[in-house]
Parts: sequence; structure tokens; C-alpha cells
Amino acid sequence: MADVRATLIPAGENSYRLEAYLGRGGYEAARKTLLEKKPQEVMEEVKKANLRGRGGAGFPAGFKWAFVPQADDRPKYLCVNADEGEPGTFKDRAILTRDPHLLLEGIILACYAVGIHTAFVYVRGEYEAIAMRLEAAIAEAGQKGFLGGNIFGSGFDLEVLVHRGAGSYICGEETALLESLEGKRGWPRLKPPFPASVGLFRGPTVINNVETIANIPLIFRHGAEWFIAQGLPRDGGKRLFGVSGAVRKPGLYELPMGTPLRKIIYDWAGGPAEGQAIKAVIPGGLSAPFLTPEEIDVLMDYESLAHARSMLGSAGIIVIGDRTPIIDILKIVARFYAHESCGQCTPCRIGTTWISKIADRIGAGGGGPGDLDLIRHLAEGMKGKTLCPMGDAAAFPVLSIIEKFGRELEETISR
Amino acid sequence: MVTIQIDGKPLQVAPGTTVLKAAEQMGIVIPRFCFHPAFEPEGSCRMCLVEIEGLPKLDLACSTVVREGMIVRTSTPKVIQARKDVLEFFLADHPLDCPICDKAGECFLQDYYDKHGRYASRFLEAKEKKKKKIPIGKKLILDRERCVLCTRCVRFLRRVTGTGELGVFERGVTAEIGIDEGTEIKNNYSGNLVDICPVGAITDGDFRFKTRAWFLEKKRTVCPRCSRGCNIVIQSVRDYPLSGRQRKIYRIVAAENPDVNGHWICDYGRYGYPDVEDNRWKVIAVNRGEPAGGRPPNWENILKGLAAEIRGLADAGRTSSLAVILNSFLTNEELAACRKLFADALGVRSIFFADPKPGEADGHLLTADRAPNGGGAAALGFLPTLPDLDRLAGASDLLIAFGPHLLDHFPVEKLAAALQGIGRKYLLASHRSALDALADIILPTAHPAEKKGSFTNIKGTVQPFECAVKPPRGSLPEGEILSRLASELGVKLE
Amino acid sequence: MKFSLSAESARRVDELVRRYPKKAAALLPVLHIVQREKGFVSPEAEEWVAATLGVPPIQVREVLSFYTLLRRQPAGKYVIQVCRNISCFLAGSEDIVNYLETKLAVQAGETTADGKFTLVTVECLGNCDHAPCLMVNDDDYGPVSRSAIDGILKGLI
Repeated sequence: MADVRATLIPAGENSYRLEAYLGRGGYEAARKTLLEKKPQEVMEEVKKANLRGRGGAGFPAGFKWAFVPQADDRPKYLCVNADEGEPGTFKDRAILTRDPHLLLEGIILACYAVGIHTAFVYVRGEYEAIAMRLEAAIAEAGQKGFLGGNIFGSGFDLEVLVHRGAGSYICGEETALLESLEGKRGWPRLKPPFPASVGLFRGPTVINNVETIANIPLIFRHGAEWFIAQGLPRDGGKRLFGVSGAVRKPGLYELPMGTPLRKIIYDWAGGPAEGQAIKAVIPGGLSAPFLTPEEIDVLMDYESLAHARSMLGSAGIIVIGDRTPIIDILKIVARFYAHESCGQCTPCRIGTTWISKIADRIGAGGGGPGDLDLIRHLAEGMKGKTLCPMGDAAAFPVLSIIEKFGRELEETISR
Repeated sequence: MVTIQIDGKPLQVAPGTTVLKAAEQMGIVIPRFCFHPAFEPEGSCRMCLVEIEGLPKLDLACSTVVREGMIVRTSTPKVIQARKDVLEFFLADHPLDCPICDKAGECFLQDYYDKHGRYASRFLEAKEKKKKKIPIGKKLILDRERCVLCTRCVRFLRRVTGTGELGVFERGVTAEIGIDEGTEIKNNYSGNLVDICPVGAITDGDFRFKTRAWFLEKKRTVCPRCSRGCNIVIQSVRDYPLSGRQRKIYRIVAAENPDVNGHWICDYGRYGYPDVEDNRWKVIAVNRGEPAGGRPPNWENILKGLAAEIRGLADAGRTSSLAVILNSFLTNEELAACRKLFADALGVRSIFFADPKPGEADGHLLTADRAPNGGGAAALGFLPTLPDLDRLAGASDLLIAFGPHLLDHFPVEKLAAALQGIGRKYLLASHRSALDALADIILPTAHPAEKKGSFTNIKGTVQPFECAVKPPRGSLPEGEILSRLASELGVKLE
Repeated sequence: MKFSLSAESARRVDELVRRYPKKAAALLPVLHIVQREKGFVSPEAEEWVAATLGVPPIQVREVLSFYTLLRRQPAGKYVIQVCRNISCFLAGSEDIVNYLETKLAVQAGETTADGKFTLVTVECLGNCDHAPCLMVNDDDYGPVSRSAIDGILKGLI
């Protein structure tokens, strides 16, 4: 099968360097836009392109920007979320490693649209090499006058800082990210107020995922109509689908929104691993409810997956083969959320560890007849009651495992 | 005003009111751990979830602000189940400490389980083990297993005292309240932490294991240890489970008064309750001069004797040789009686005040003035002048001193020398002191907690209070003594 | 002994602090700089960081205890983080962990007696298409096999 023509992930060892980026036509769109268009026009174009956030929530980027009050003299901020902690997700790593300047150009356009002069890229602590590469790219861009004061001679100032996290999945949640950036524990904030009105250092703040921002230069290179045509009417652009797990060709595949999941797994990722059939598929990162083999004809877009009672999330597809006992998967899922729970609110703090203890007990042979009901009860207890979406993220996959793989779990328990 | 509906009943509230506060106005108390009226909503305990029509999920009552036409339901099946679920999470990792935990009887977990829980526990796993007896300063003890991470204590120390001794360490289920190594809580408001902790995670070593909350009789009064007039609740046990006719005060807690002390009291006031019981004068003591008739001294014969002495001076035209030393622990009513009896009726001019020496104000509640009614005395026209001892000695034949606070201002030798020169000396005191030996007759009086009356605080607010604990059987409030004395002298005090 | 950083690290701290709108926001990056130089964050370092950034010392302690990459105890020269989340598990991470535990003669979470290696198991490292994966300090490796690990360890002096 021919390789996917990546616009977000360029080929070549030195693709990340400024000369290579300029050779691909980089920074032209930003330059022209800043010199010829008004910020409001930029925002409208992004709205028109139906660019939905690629971090997990899928909120339309242009509309998120529009929430920032323009008549406000508090400093505004952009935070680019490069915390990439959702298991099964490795797309932002690829963009930052192979095309950091694409991200920077997107940052320029986003900040120009909203009137922001300081942008932070919050990079997870484990991505140290990536953070250094990004800092080098910022220095390169700065030397050429693409960042800093009066970029492109447009009169617009913009500073970009790389900020490192230190090992915490919850800091990928936007308000926890803000807390962490301010030098505190990553405890999410109560909403309202929303970051667009009270965010970083209490100023209006936009938080966008790396891939979301990386798509913006494409919109301005080719136009909003082109962008929509790459995907679906309500869901513009291509998506970086990460496929991993029990498949023959794990990797990152840039495909249109709405590609069938089966096609991604079989045609692009080579199908399930040697000697295995598919037992389960996670379509959108670990927080997405599991799908059974019968459900993988679903189209990979926000609406279709929501209709299928799962979610597109971070488009991190994990294929689980039939050689893997589902109890092992349940244990890992439960352990992950228990480990990453920030501890601020009661249902998640207690519920995630409780479920993890039950799963471990079942795995060690100590399961009893009421255990699955109890796990379901606890997950329902967390659902919709937590301070941040991680409670739901911890509950949904667990509930889907119990619902769809309950028979196998019962057998494990009675053994 | 905003019109909303709670549980089917309409209500009008000021804009900006939260659902929780609005419900309170209707007498509906929504359960909560982390919310405290002194702080901005925290939203972390998730106990106050209620149903708001039009919203897909349950919402927090503590932080949701009312909107015109909002329809709130606080006891639908969904809400009831949510409370059970959240409570189940709280209790799953909570130790079975009730039998040895001081908070029993006033614990949010117990109360809420009784009201909103009542489910069978399904927790079969091992509970998280944490340290249980951590001294964190003064007499406070932190028990991490009992802690529900409501963070009230952390927020109190950051926002009220500004000292920030406590923080939250670790994360997830291992998250725990902690204090930085080598530091301890030393501020003058530490006792409030015990009041605000909803469970037995922070307990007071002063109260630990001494009694049970349900034995305590709670009476509200005004703290007499400075001129702020903080509202307090004195909590004592009478009879059972104490033996005989005993009464013992176990602690003082803050009573809320938005105009005076807000939600807090200082440690100086809180831990001042031993004053009420320690070192008291409970019987009339006669050092010199038998009462009339040579019988054992009682209120009647002693006051008759005093009245006779006063009448004697009055008849001889020598009321100028009667000196009275008052203090600012007297209630407004008692001070008024003093003015009527001594100044107006008897024409006494040598009226002085002896109060405790001022201390240091702490910049919050504790004032430099360490007596409760300086404001009342001033409002009644009294001047806070100390007597000149030499002139007092030279000019006086009869001295009536209220309280031993002369000792705060003069060394006892000087007082002894001066009082030598005064013929008769009556001391009205609630507590024993070095002044006792210098008086001829000591009349035991009540502690302010044992009186009914009013104090005027530093802001000029008049605060009436009821008798919170009964005085010892032999003692009388000064007001009662003045009333009887006036009666003996034929003076009407009304 | 008073805590101090090397001139280079101190310069980087100064630069960082200047670029953030509020000094306290530089806390995580400064802690990283300290840990890179000293291997961990000692109580003296905590005090120094608190004073440098004008934050209460307890805030530094809170942050240190919250984030998994920050250490209050010294670690080995090479910190080996092995991912155990779903994709890596499916690719055999448990075997990798067992192999490393046997080869290094430590349990996950411990440091070898010679102070050379610290072995920890971690959640998703964001490298799922190279499962099973691990990191040695800042370097990514994956997919790793037993023999690949032999090679990696041999190259670490």
C-alpha cells in the first residue's frame, strides 16, 4: 500500500529545520495574512473551515477563540497543549519532531487572530528532546524575524515560550494545564469561569492542541473551502490517526475525517497481528469506550463515533487481539486512572483506586459474583459527578468493558 | 431580585446568590464538606450536587449562581442517589475510628450517612494506610486516614491567617494534608481549624478523649478576654457522666456573628475557659472584723454590715472618704447600677477603674484592651483612671474594690502599704489573688460567663448575653450584690 | 552548606525567570534545571528555589510531591522508564520489565547498588507505534527486545 501523503508529517531527516520548512513554502501564509488581513478575518476563516479541536473534546477552534473578550486590557495568552498523555496517542510528538515550524506558523496565525502576544507550548516532561528541538526552532524563527517584535514587519509582536511539564496526565486537561503553568499542582479549576474569560494569570486564555494549531497554516495556504473538502462538511481537514497495539503496521496515518475504522486497521495498518483476531478496538485514546469487532465499520468522525456510543477523542486507535485476556486490559485501564487521578475531588480520588483494587483482585483469582456489578456501580458513581472530565474518562472505558466483555470477565471470576 | 423555584416553592433572592445559600433561606440545608461560608466555593467534595432543570448533569449548589426562572430540585431520586454515591466514596477509605474519634456526634460523615446514606458497605479491599497522630502545632493533631481532603484547613491558613502552614502533598488516593518539615502552626487562630474540620482529621489535644459531644450543653455568650466581644459558645457537662453535682467546661467554640467576629475566635479567647473554673473564690472570707452578731458570715449579715458602715460615713458627712474601684468586666447593667448607687445616691467622687494591663493586639480580632466592657464604661461616662495610691490611702476610710486588677499596675508591697492606711477594705473578686490578704472581707463574684447582661465592644456594639454557666453556689454576680446593697441602703436602682 | 547552582544553570534560571510574566510560573522549569544538575531536589534546593521565585516553601514541596518526574531522592546515573500501558503491554512490556529486573538485580522502583541504574515502570510515554518502548534519561527506545536491551545497557557506561 502506498504511504499516506502527509501534509502534517513531512518526510526527510531534516524536515524540522527552518530551511527545509521554507523550502516547502513555510511562513508565507503567515506573512501574507499578517500583512494583508485583519485579525477578525483570520478568525472568520478558521470558523469557516470547521476546524475542530484535535485534543479530544473536538470543540470548533474558531468559536473557542471568539469567546475571548476583545475589549479587555488584560494580557491574553495562548497555551498550546503538547502534554499528549492519552494512551494510544503519539501524533503531537510526530508534528513537533518533524515539523515544529508548522506549529509555530500556526501559533502566529492564532495569536494574530485573537490579539495574543505571548504563547506557551506546554510540553510533557518526558518529551525533553522535543522541547529542545522546539526551542531551537523558535530561536531559528526569531533570528529571521518570524517571532519576537514586529514579525514580518507587520507591527505585531509575539513571544513563544516552551514550558515543560513534569509527569502528570491530568495536566493535559486545560484548567489543570493552567494551574501547572502557574507553578502549582495540576488541580483542575471549577468552570465557570472558563479560560476564555479567566485563564492564565487570570487573563483571557485560549488553549488548543498541537495538531489543531498545526492545521491552521494549511487553511491559510489553501483556503477554508479546500480544508473542508479534505474532510467532512462539519469536520474539516485530515486527521492524524495513530494505530498501535496488536496490528502489523503500527504508525501514524493521515487520512480524511470520516474514514471507516475497518479501513484504517486493515488497509493501512496491515490488519491484526499475526495469528490473532481482533477482540476489541479503542477508537480514540484510552478514554474512549471500547468497540467490539462487530462495531468497527464505524466512520471515524465525531458524530459517527458519538452515535456508536464511543468517541473520536485523540484518534488514538488501539487494537486488542484475542490472545489477550480482557481482565489484563481492565487492570491496566483502572491502574492508569488511579495513578493519574489528581486527588482533588472525591469520586475520582477514591473511585479510580477502588476499581483498580477490584480489578487486581479479580486478576489475582480473588474475584466474586458481585464484583462486576460493583465496578459498574462505582463507575456510574463517578460519571457526571467529578470536577473535571477525567472522572468520565475513567468511567466510560470501564463501563464499556463490563458491558461488552462481561461474559469473559464472569468466566475469569468463576475460574 | 431574582425569582427562582426550589423544590416547587418560589423564592426571591438577591442576584449573585448561590443555589446553596438560596436553599438555606428556605431552611433547606444541602449537604457539603468543602464549602464553608467564609470562603469562595471550592467544588471538590461533590456532595452538594442538585438537579437544575435544563442542565443534563447534576450541578454544584455551592458554586452555581441563581438565574431568573431557575428551577432547582434538591431531593429527586437522582440527587438522592448522587449523595449516596459520593458518600460511599468518602466512607470507603475512611477508618472505622468512631469509637475513639472525638468528632463523633458532630461529624459530617456520621450525620450525612444517617440522613443521606444508609446503604450497605461494599468495600472489600484493603483501606489506604496513612499516619494517624501527627502533631502540627500547638495542641493540634492531624489524622490523615480520617481526612476527607476538603482543604478547609489549607484554605483557612492561606486566606484568613495568611500563614499557609498546611498544604496538600502527593496526588490521587495518596493525596494528604501535610505541614512543611520543621514548621508548625503557631498563630493565634489555630483552634478554628478544629471547628472547621468536618471530620475528626484535626482534633484538639486540649479536648481529646475528655468527653463526648452529645453530653455537652451549649450556651452562647460573649468572650470577656478582650474588647472585641467575639461571640462564643461555652460547652460544658453538668451531672452525668460526671459524678455528683459536678459541672465542667470542656471547650469554647466560635459562634458566628458577621458584625463582630465573623466565623472565628482567637486562641487566647478559645483556650481561656479554665478561667471560669480555676482558682475561684466560692465563699465569703472574713479576714478582719466579725460580721454583725458574730455569726458565720453570709450575704445578709455581711451586706448589712457594709450598709451600716456606709450609712455611718454618710451620717457623719464623710462620704468623700468612700472610695470605689470598678473594672471593665462589669456589664453595662452593673456599671449603671454602680453609677446610680455610688455616684448619684451616695455622692461618691472617688470612683476609679483598675483593668488588666493592655496586651498586644494581633491585627485581627484580639485587641490590646484585655477587658470586655471598656466601651460600656466610657459610654456611661466613667473615666478609666487608676487611683493615686497615696491620696487614696490618705483620704479613704472605706474602700470597695471590684476585682484584683490593681495588682496589674502596682507592686503588691506598695498596695499593702497604701491599704494599711484605709480603715475598711472590701474586695469583690471572682478569683483568688495576692490582693486577698490585703482585704478585710472578700465577697465571691461571678465570672462574666456566669452573668446575664450586656457588653459594649471596641466598635461600640452593645451585645446582650445570657448566663452560660451557673456560678458556684457561694458566688453572686456583682449586679445582684449591688442590688442587695442598694436595698439595705434604701436606694432604688430601677 | 549553602545551596548553589553552576554558573550555567544559574544563568538559565535567571533567563527563565525574566521571561515569565509571573516568577512563580517558572517553578517547574527551574526544578527541572536543579534536578538536571544535582540529580534530585534536596531540601536545601527547595528552600533556594522558593526564595528565588518568591513562593512559599510549602508550595515547592507540594509541587515536588505531585509530579512523577521530579525526585526528592537521588536516582541512578541512568533512569530507565519502561511503559506498561496498553499498547506496550500488548507488545510484551511485562517481559521487558521482568528481564530488566533480573538483569539489573533490582525491583521496579529501585536503584542498583552501584548507583548506575534506576528502574521505574511508567504509564504511556506517547510512543505507542514503537511498542514496547522505554526511555533512558531523555532518550527514547522502541520497539525493544531482550537483545536490544542488552545492546542499550552495554552502551551505557
